[in-house]
Amino acid sequence: MWKTVPFVTKSISSSSILLAASSLIQQQIRTTYILKRKFPPQLHKKGSPPKKLRSRHYIYDLVEDTNTKKQEDIDVILTTFVEGLGNSGEKIKVKPQFAYNSLLLPGLAVYACPENLEKYKDTLCNKESVEYSSPNALPTIKTLSRITLSVVMNKDHPWVLKPWHVKTSFRKSGYVVPDDAITLPEKPITGPDMGLENKEFYVTVTINNKEKVNVRCRLHHWSTDIIDRIPYTPYFWEEDTEPIYPEFKEVLETLPKKVTKSVNKN
Amino acid sequence: MSLLSNKLFQLNQLIAPQKLLTRIVPIVNTLQERNYAARKGTRERKKKAKVKVEIKKVGFIAHNLRGREQMLAARASKKFSDTWKADPIDNVYPMKYYKWIVYPFSEAIKAHRETHHPEIYNKPDAELYATVELNMQAEKKNRFMENFTRIAAVPHKFDHGEDRNILVFAKSEESQNEAREAGAQYVGGPELVKQIQTGQLSLYDFQYFIAHPDILPELVQLRGVMKRRFPNVKSGTLETDLKSVIDRYLRGISYQAVKDEYEKDFGQINAVLGHLNMNDTHLEENFAAFINDVYTQKPKRDGSFIYRCYLWSPPSSEKLKIDHEMYLDAAEEPKEEKQKIVQTVVL
Repeated sequence: MWKTVPFVTKSISSSSILLAASSLIQQQIRTTYILKRKFPPQLHKKGSPPKKLRSRHYIYDLVEDTNTKKQEDIDVILTTFVEGLGNSGEKIKVKPQFAYNSLLLPGLAVYACPENLEKYKDTLCNKESVEYSSPNALPTIKTLSRITLSVVMNKDHPWVLKPWHVKTSFRKSGYVVPDDAITLPEKPITGPDMGLENKEFYVTVTINNKEKVNVRCRLHHWSTDIIDRIPYTPYFWEEDTEPIYPEFKEVLETLPKKVTKSVNKN
Repeated sequence: MSLLSNKLFQLNQLIAPQKLLTRIVPIVNTLQERNYAARKGTRERKKKAKVKVEIKKVGFIAHNLRGREQMLAARASKKFSDTWKADPIDNVYPMKYYKWIVYPFSEAIKAHRETHHPEIYNKPDAELYATVELNMQAEKKNRFMENFTRIAAVPHKFDHGEDRNILVFAKSEESQNEAREAGAQYVGGPELVKQIQTGQLSLYDFQYFIAHPDILPELVQLRGVMKRRFPNVKSGTLETDLKSVIDRYLRGISYQAVKDEYEKDFGQINAVLGHLNMNDTHLEENFAAFINDVYTQKPKRDGSFIYRCYLWSPPSSEKLKIDHEMYLDAAEEPKEEKQKIVQTVVL
């Protein structure tokens, strides 16, 4: 087959239609295969014409298929704030397919070419244009606003709710929230009070001293003695309840309710 | 010479060669014609060979073992690694999207004390547990360590709440008294060996057997009865310094490394280090003694032995990771890639 290639190309070059490609849509496709001859042809004699290639000389080993090669990450400059990635004007490194489909096509970013770098260099320096304190602030706000935090307090020992109680509850549920980021409602919550059991209140969490988010909390009483302990209610966040104080109602109504993803409830 | 060629030879003499060819060829053809089976039963035999399909007998598989292979394939590895996760950049974040926080020991205890505060769980004297995850691969790649049970000596004693019955064998009066002073309830010499042989004393009433080397000649008679529990130097039960051995067996941390049922190179140890109301440094020293005792079991191979360590304390479900490598005495030179302690922990 390979031996016929020169003849075929000769016939193509004679018919000019195929080569006059100016009217066709030209799209770049990458089909480079790097090959190596399995049986390299021998050197020819000095001054004599090159030796004829035999069929075995057209057998190749594949060295590299550039189509399946992993492409390197590319730099793009964000033109707006993108959740989890960064603020506008920030140069980030992302996978090329993700960059093309999710950032460049929707117009959220531009290629980090020298012209664009020059064009967007002032955007980041301008601190006023920074929407969020960090790229992950918005996802954290979203997560915190839809949870129902269970705050477990003692049933026998007197207490007044303090930020460190809420911080501990956050840590138990898998959220890092420092003491100084928690603002409790002004009206103090004291206990133990079984009238407050399974009732709701809210706390305000400040992320990076900038973004504020209200978090729905539910108070539960816990006794060390297993006989006095109130049994755990599965999916307690799905049951409707009242706020601890009527003043909380306004804020609590604005917060979305936690939705259970799993269907199988037993 | 065959019959045919013999005849040819005769013909050759009578007839000219050109004539011979035309005449002989038909004779040869008729000889090869054959309209019977090559050998009796050949066709039948070949038919039989084709039809034969082996039906494998599948024995009874219990309902809980069906689909075991699929289960194993879908089962997540217990070997922990969060290196692919990012470091947190904010002061507020959900933990599951980031690397585990590595707490300094005292900070971890402080966090546990918060959850066990009288205003929350009201259990300030709760037990502090440490879980150690082990790489149970032995010297060779497809060999695995056995489960092991040990008792680690700790510098700061606490009430572990276990009943540990010890039987001490010693010949001289002196060492017997030493053992009694150390707190052993049952101490005896050669007469104890006889009592066991006659059946007056049951070995099943005791968990651990400790012996002084001077009684060894008499004690050898019990080797067959005691089997693996026979005092030996390797497990530290045959020593001249009875006091420290008894002390370790009565008041040390007892722990067991258990291999995973399916993942044979993964083992886990759960041990009590003390109580939350103990001094911070005392708990830390207990942990250091315990982790070094575990590390003595490391097989002679390259690579890490301990994957990770975390502290927990029931009834809270929190697990707080700590850096075990800074407590190892015999550890190799610290690697450059060693995980840094996250200093952002604010308590």
